[in-house]
Amino acid sequence: MDEEQTQVVTFARNLEVALDERVHCLEVVDGVEPGRRYVIGAQGVTIGRAPPADIILADSEVSRAHCRVSLQGEQLTVADLNSTNGVFVDGARIAQPTAMPVGAILQVGRQLLKHEWRTRGEILHADEMDRDLDKARSYVNALLPPPIGDGPIRADWLFEPCAKLGGDAFGYGALSDHQFVAYLVDVSGHGAGAAMHSVAVMNLLRQRALPNTDMANPGEVLACLNAMFQMERHAEMYFTMWYGVFDTVTRRLDYASAGHHPGYLTPADRSEATPMRTKNGIIGGRPGAAYKADSLLVPPGASVYLFSDGVFEIVTIDGIQWGLQDFLPLILKPPADGVSECQRLYREVRGVARPSGLDDDFSLVVLTFD
Amino acid sequence: MSAVEMQHTDIGEVRKIILAGRLDSAGVDGIELRFGAVIIPVGKHTVVDLTEVSFLASLGVRMFISTTRALAAKGGKLALFGAQPAVMEIIEVMGFDDIVPVVDSEAEAVALVTG
Repeated sequence: MDEEQTQVVTFARNLEVALDERVHCLEVVDGVEPGRRYVIGAQGVTIGRAPPADIILADSEVSRAHCRVSLQGEQLTVADLNSTNGVFVDGARIAQPTAMPVGAILQVGRQLLKHEWRTRGEILHADEMDRDLDKARSYVNALLPPPIGDGPIRADWLFEPCAKLGGDAFGYGALSDHQFVAYLVDVSGHGAGAAMHSVAVMNLLRQRALPNTDMANPGEVLACLNAMFQMERHAEMYFTMWYGVFDTVTRRLDYASAGHHPGYLTPADRSEATPMRTKNGIIGGRPGAAYKADSLLVPPGASVYLFSDGVFEIVTIDGIQWGLQDFLPLILKPPADGVSECQRLYREVRGVARPSGLDDDFSLVVLTFD
Repeated sequence: MSAVEMQHTDIGEVRKIILAGRLDSAGVDGIELRFGAVIIPVGKHTVVDLTEVSFLASLGVRMFISTTRALAAKGGKLALFGAQPAVMEIIEVMGFDDIVPVVDSEAEAVALVTG
């Protein structure tokens, strides 16, 4: 074996050892930069809002020097540096230096960071995946329509993708001079693959480009998508969907859903929430499936709420699994001053959810009709 | 961290799978390979007990549909039974019971896959 070969083998072994080495990390699960990862070395780190903190979190509720995270042996410990808003570990405010076991959630201001113990190889791989997710997240965001603040139909939305990216997407806009279309798609699974699947569906809907299909007929639209997106030809992914078309002349809203919970219509006084759902299967599950549609009249001043299951399938601080019926009363609450309807509902949901970040995308669209 | 427990037994010619836990994305990630591995290669008719499953996410639905199809390609049938009300509500909304049959009891599930 010559000198050059020996050097290469030695390097490879060192690399393997380095990749197998485990390190402690804090990973942002909710906050300004979801997915951002900080490796905690033997010297520890200071977390704060501004330099000279080692980890800088741009959050007005974070103090300049908020807390100190240190590593003693294999034990990660956090100490409050007399911060204004306190330091929380797994939801409990700490009064003295507190151990953070692997998996613990550190809350600093509005930022949630999870303690992970990973090999350097896992970190390299995760970084690569994160870059792909960032690209996919940007692509989905670029396809979402701008809010509509003025006019006879106003539209507001909030899209808060989870760290893994959940495959949600939605859209709305004029279909003709007297028709307005809105839809929401939720692809099964997580990751760049699910996001790209939703992008493919969105691009077809945005271009109104379904073959031999009346885009104003919700049943036809869902049946066409089902024919085009069968699971076995799309990496075993299916999606659920709500699709509706509002006629501004007749005030009739035609809608259909596919494996999706209802959209809801509320009158201006928010006295009730009328479910809008047709019992149809998922998109991609069965070739040749027919999709039923239904319709109702939209009274003046009414609003339509469309959302993904990530809005209500949360686990509360008390460990209770929420379902749709737990979320619906929030829709009927009065609006909040200075806060959009979407922001109001997002805050309500996050206020009861456990502080470990979203498990799924939070997608909410509110349409209001004059 | 979600952990789903899985056990399997054979009732004559029918394989029975018992799942327990949350079939959310983390739970499914941890069990999907094993779930397929104890059902598909064997090719037996299969019933899946959901009595102890407290939550079912879209990835769990996908796991059931994919496994049912793969098993059907080998001549086997799969049915789910015993879903809790909250899980049953998700199944009904998603309307996939025309692809993967869902019944109340183990006896009904066994009769369905062997019938």
